Amino acid sequence: MSHDEQGLGMTIGEGALPDWKLVQQVRQGDEVSFDTLFRRHYDRVYGILFRLVGNRAEAEDLAQEVFLKLYRRPPEVRGEASLTGWLYRVATNQGYNHLRGRKRRRQRDVQLAPGADPSEGLAWHEDPVRAAEAAEAAALVRATLSRLSERQVRLLVLRQMGLSYAELAEACAVAPGSVGQLLARAVRAFQKQHERLSQGSASGRQGGDGGKR
Amino acid sequence: MRQSRKASREASRIAHLQEVMETMSVLEPRPEDAPPPATQALARLKAGAVAADEARPQWFKEFSNMLRRKYAYAAGLVVLLAGLSLFSPAVRAAASDFLGLFRVQKFAAISVSPRQMAALERIAEEGLTPGEFEVVGAEPTASQVATLAEAETATGQRVLAPRVLGAADTIEVVDGAMGRLTINVQSARAILSGAGLDPTLLPESLDGQPVDVTLYPTVAQNWQAEGITLVQTDSPLIAYPPDVDATRLGEALLQFMGLPEGEAARLAASIDWTNTLLLPVPEEVATFSEVRVGGTSGLALSSLDGVRSVLLWERDGRVYVMEGSATVRELVRAANSLR
Repeated sequence: MSHDEQGLGMTIGEGALPDWKLVQQVRQGDEVSFDTLFRRHYDRVYGILFRLVGNRAEAEDLAQEVFLKLYRRPPEVRGEASLTGWLYRVATNQGYNHLRGRKRRRQRDVQLAPGADPSEGLAWHEDPVRAAEAAEAAALVRATLSRLSERQVRLLVLRQMGLSYAELAEACAVAPGSVGQLLARAVRAFQKQHERLSQGSASGRQGGDGGKR
Repeated sequence: MRQSRKASREASRIAHLQEVMETMSVLEPRPEDAPPPATQALARLKAGAVAADEARPQWFKEFSNMLRRKYAYAAGLVVLLAGLSLFSPAVRAAASDFLGLFRVQKFAAISVSPRQMAALERIAEEGLTPGEFEVVGAEPTASQVATLAEAETATGQRVLAPRVLGAADTIEVVDGAMGRLTINVQSARAILSGAGLDPTLLPESLDGQPVDVTLYPTVAQNWQAEGITLVQTDSPLIAYPPDVDATRLGEALLQFMGLPEGEAARLAASIDWTNTLLLPVPEEVATFSEVRVGGTSGLALSSLDGVRSVLLWERDGRVYVMEGSATVRELVRAANSLR
């Protein structure tokens, strides 16, 4: 995946109406324009939410919530990046609200659900060892992200999806000129925490192996 | 030399960014995690939205329509902000050391401009919440009953009806419900920041603290010919931790609503935040005034075109909301005949 400062942007078919025009029409009650926006942005909104919550069913439900907001209260948008910024901001807010709820539910239900099944999330056709390694890597990245500020996570996740700096500024409600600096800080924070957790995880495994011997 | 160092730093920054992006790629959905086709997801959304709209009680739909949905939604947010301002030292003294109680006894209104409503609307639209809200126990359901006696049996409350209107065409009972908001200070502060208020008005110690809301069974009577709906319930109860300077937060809120600094301070100090529900009224939608209803003070809202009005009042621990296609005078007359 390329990560140039322009980002990937949205591919809009030739002759298709731009987002801002469609939103204007949605505000006037045009359902067809809403359907077009939904089809245009659904996969990406789902992608953001999946990266945040790591679960297909939950990401689907949250994506529904995001588009329900667009359906019921379409925002006022001015530029082309404005709607995508709004959608991604709402999506990350929804994702974070959900994660907070999940955290509290886990704390409350700790007696009932002492730990997740390590095989959870593994596809039946995957090599169990590779799948377990992938799951472990993903868990490590999630643990790393959980130690960063919400803004840093938003920046990293959205950038990882290929958003341009302009879109990041809109989605994270920061000044366009400060995106580069904020992203660089987020990268440093990520690397520091990831390294720390990786070392902890490796020494934990060694300790565990030692215990088995 | 300097330029070379700068270029080297830039190259290093890009390399680190690419490295982190690569590490984070493990979060991407695998093939089996791919989303459903957009058309399928769209059909689900349309079906869900329609079902949710149909599930709303009729009186709620009419009330929402009057204030326009976007305003009602934003108004809810302001009430929530006002609710957060209830954490007052005065209440702490009056209640226990750890818990405060708020019960609606008075209504107050403040006129807000379209610009301020738009700012609130933006916050509401973006899904910012001051924490996690969950319904404790069963979700409330609405059901139709045939008579007031049945409504009283179902709710365990005495139900009044305006004599001048005769028997209602429909009577709907909505179960009571309990909800808990677990405060997330970071999110709540984001709301304050979004509204241009000082986020530190909410202390860190509130994080994770519960705010418990108890809604009691509600009865809604509707008279179709007159286009009037009366909703009544025991006054909702809010129990909260005692950690915020109510007057300061209230003052900031009033300033956000457009009041000059001095006036906001004076009004905030004069409001009893333990029992007063502050309603924002969009200035381009409705006007408001204080009215006397059955010997008690109430609040009247009237749409600018004079077509619809709303009365809100509290008496003996019960909250009443009467709304309809009528003038304030006509609603007051009906409200005064409650038996």
